[in-house]
Amino acid sequence: MNDGTSRESIDPETTPEALVERFGRDLINDFDLDDPAFNDRFDETLNFMVRKCPVVHSTVGKGYYLINTQDDVRAAAQNWQTFSSAKGYMPNRPDGLPYLMPEESDPPIHTRWRRVLNPHLSPKVCASYEQAVRDDANELIDRFIERGECEFISEFGALLPGWAFFKNVLGLPIDDLAMLVNGVEEGTFAPDLDARAKHFAGVFEYLETHLKWRSTQPSRGDLIDTILAGVTYDDGTIAPWEHKVSILVDLTFGGIATTTFVMGSAIHHLATHPDQRQLLIDQPVLVENAIEEYARFFPPVVALGRTATSDVEVSGTSIKEGEFVMLAYACASRDPRHMDEPEKIDVRREGIPHSTFGVGPHRCIGSNLARVELTATLEEWLKRIPEFRVKSGGEPTYVTGFLRSMRSLHLEW
Amino acid sequence: MKVHIDEIKCSGHGRCAKYAPNVFKLSDDDGYNADRGQTIEVPAGEEENAQLGIKSCPERALIIVED
Repeated sequence: MNDGTSRESIDPETTPEALVERFGRDLINDFDLDDPAFNDRFDETLNFMVRKCPVVHSTVGKGYYLINTQDDVRAAAQNWQTFSSAKGYMPNRPDGLPYLMPEESDPPIHTRWRRVLNPHLSPKVCASYEQAVRDDANELIDRFIERGECEFISEFGALLPGWAFFKNVLGLPIDDLAMLVNGVEEGTFAPDLDARAKHFAGVFEYLETHLKWRSTQPSRGDLIDTILAGVTYDDGTIAPWEHKVSILVDLTFGGIATTTFVMGSAIHHLATHPDQRQLLIDQPVLVENAIEEYARFFPPVVALGRTATSDVEVSGTSIKEGEFVMLAYACASRDPRHMDEPEKIDVRREGIPHSTFGVGPHRCIGSNLARVELTATLEEWLKRIPEFRVKSGGEPTYVTGFLRSMRSLHLEW
Repeated sequence: MKVHIDEIKCSGHGRCAKYAPNVFKLSDDDGYNADRGQTIEVPAGEEENAQLGIKSCPERALIIVED
């Protein structure tokens, strides 16, 4: 049982009554990623859960658990034999959505794909895109700097990651980026589950069309050609066409729907903390640390799911075979058992093992590119617009589910 | 000081080489630790950086081997 009463001593902060009074619901037995209260009180809920609720359960839809401590998240993420990705990473997955390779597969299928995909997003390759990404950051800033204000998300944050990924890695035209960003956002956050499926289907169709067209073109030796060349699985079968399409979809989801949140949050933090802005301007060497700290504290991926392949116990909670388990990366990155004052942002922290890019074999394949994008953003922005603030009434708005996204942020200078 | 790099756990976060570039090398090909599955000697004077690199690994893939 995981009802808070079976433990040796009862913590008055985690009784159902105390939880309902504080969070509006019994977080331990009745959690909901899509609850607007979770969106509104995101930091407080994460900080509380990682300290007080190692495992929580949701009754929404088919139900799911959330694993919250860093040690448990790491152990489960590395134990793909017991916590399988082959049934998907989304809780209450929309019906009919094909599984996305390689994210929704286990070794050895996963290994086959990662081995050929990793070289396209290695630190070395991503470093070679750095100047192009900086140029793009400046091109975006050029569009609004004279105006003295901007809406950061639509005019910068939602564009730069897509430009960086499409122009440098996928060779996709950026004209259709807005449509794809919208499709991914609505597919993730639309309140209606059927609507989510429809939006995802639109993204699939667009990317499959592109992949088909590329298969008729001469090889460029890029990531798309690697996908088209495919892999042979260990049983001798050749990866089918649907797997190839799903890889492009998976990479696009990751490439355009996540980094924006870290960017927007970092810029918002700097807009509201002039001392931190000055610190990074005076000591640019800290930017690298700052990016890790912002990524730790502003996680775009709140949690990703696994399916238990056998009965298993996690921090005293019994999980049955077949049940869905979310690894709460956002909580694990704030575990006080592994860092001092995790609820504070401190860009001088060094060597903090955060889990914003995931843990285990499914580590975010775009992590190296994301770091290039974030470095370019902070350095070029602070160079061009060293003084800026949130416009009155333009405070950021958020939406949260298993991902977290910033919808708008109005700045002026 | 010797450090073993777990072949399975290393997942290519690249943090070790960021904090201790003179100790840990990443593969040019995929960015995972170039010495995965091996035990390496930490050069004299690099112990502190190595400790930071070890601590920063989200996988705990780096283990100090007593010698």
